[in-house]
Amino acid sequence: MIDNGLLVQMLMGALLGLSVYLPLAAGQLSLATPAFYAVGGTLAALLSTRWSALGATANGGFPVPSLLLEMALGGVLAGLLALLVGRLVLRLQGIYLAIATIALVEIVRVAILNLPFTGGAVGIFAIPQPFDTAAGYLLPALALLALAGWLCQRLELMPLGRAMAAIRHDELAASCMGLDTTQVKLTAFVLSAMLAGSTGALAAHFLNTWNARQGSFDTSITTLAFVVLGGSRTWLGPVVGGLLLTALPELLRPVGDVRLVLFGLVILLGPVLAPQGLVTPALLERLGGWSLRSGASRKTENAQP
Amino acid sequence: MSQPLLEVRDLSRRFGGLLAVDRVNFAVQPGEIFGLIGPNGAGKTTLFNVISGVTPPTGGSVFWRSQPISGQAPHRLNRLGLARTFQNLRLFDGLSVLENLLVALQRRPRSSALGGLLNSAGHQRAERQRLEAAWQLLEELGLTALAERQAGTLAYGDRRRLEMARALATGPSLLLLDEPAAGLNPAEKDQLCQLIGELRQRHQLTVMIIEHHVPLLMRLCNRMAVLDFGVRIALGTPEEVRRDPQVIEAYLGTGTGGSA
Repeated sequence: MIDNGLLVQMLMGALLGLSVYLPLAAGQLSLATPAFYAVGGTLAALLSTRWSALGATANGGFPVPSLLLEMALGGVLAGLLALLVGRLVLRLQGIYLAIATIALVEIVRVAILNLPFTGGAVGIFAIPQPFDTAAGYLLPALALLALAGWLCQRLELMPLGRAMAAIRHDELAASCMGLDTTQVKLTAFVLSAMLAGSTGALAAHFLNTWNARQGSFDTSITTLAFVVLGGSRTWLGPVVGGLLLTALPELLRPVGDVRLVLFGLVILLGPVLAPQGLVTPALLERLGGWSLRSGASRKTENAQP
Repeated sequence: MSQPLLEVRDLSRRFGGLLAVDRVNFAVQPGEIFGLIGPNGAGKTTLFNVISGVTPPTGGSVFWRSQPISGQAPHRLNRLGLARTFQNLRLFDGLSVLENLLVALQRRPRSSALGGLLNSAGHQRAERQRLEAAWQLLEELGLTALAERQAGTLAYGDRRRLEMARALATGPSLLLLDEPAAGLNPAEKDQLCQLIGELRQRHQLTVMIIEHHVPLLMRLCNRMAVLDFGVRIALGTPEEVRRDPQVIEAYLGTGTGGSA
């Protein structure tokens, strides 16, 4: 039922889930992920179809190192945009930030739709393929997810991650404890954007065509659902949420049009039945091994005099 | 007199039609315990908020070691050496007691984000130093047994002490305590009094303290200021303040309006 193509999409869902999770870990509800995803995807689509130095071949092939370069560039460009925009929008809090970031998604979408070189409504097509089969995309997608997971895991055990958690709990108290809250929030926002930008670059090749519909308000809500259903207290939550919710519509295909109703039901019932999401720190503790939240304190037992 | 650590000159804060702090003047000398009392709504907490950068002043200025600091962000003021607690307790409730302190110990010592990501030797050393400092503070404030507990689950008195520990963790020279004894029973108030004295010694602190419990302040403070309706109506040693007719009037009212 789950073929390689769906697996790649699931992994990209997990990546976008993490992109929503990162600002949320610092208490910032940003829905800007699709905007950065679109920026990364558009960049990769443009570069690979227009810039022959990257090595696109006549029969639609593409070198893997060029793909990796595009993923890096997509991340950097999205990060720069986030740096620029973040300074402005991160002054807003709560639902106001969410609305401002939705506006960003719309601005980017309309820009891509209307810019003279992005192909209008049709978009950019015949994007060259670095791999012959969908299976090939598994590796870069997994590698990016591993990198993002490692980043989130490390954050828990270093000052930046702790600062993010503190701001999530009480921003005013955090700033009175000497934390430059603006800078911390901006860092989380930029990391989130870079992740989405790189994912977009990979997605552009995987999907073969790219247009303005790739990063829309719908995606904002879907990616937010990944985090809500999966849980926002550990980074594994959005990963699980992203994997499941990307797979679900495809797995439900046999039941016909009812599948969208079922999909909606899952999103509706998820928060009711598991308000903290499917993956919670308590669950991980019970499973053992994974000591995400308690990692810091466990280490400390040795340090106690 | 030596150079004051903190000086407030003609400081005002207006909220619409309400002048919460009205041209207040005083200076806090290094090493002293400076009390701030006044009836409810006198503007004590607003004054703290202005000094700690949470609320910008609408008039006058604040000086830190003779440098003007009014209008600076709270984190900058904290890095200068000014830390505070909150009257209504603002702990990071979902984090453990230890993590609450580690947050405040971020910059002591500083370590690079790259080192943190790669778990470099420098990062590990910095983390060890932070942990040591955190355990030290927990011990000083009698919170060692609670280190792993979630801050939100602590008993009230413990949370008050954790607030103090967290403020101390930032390494301040001036500690602003906003009603640290509120809600404590008399025995706990006594202990707190002693604790503040000890902490001041050990950390070479200057302490500024808002308190309603006047006997506690009388015992603890070198000097105190009295606010009433935003105006500083008295300043001096506890003995001077106690005898000040304006203070007596603010607290007890004048004889003329009563049954006399």
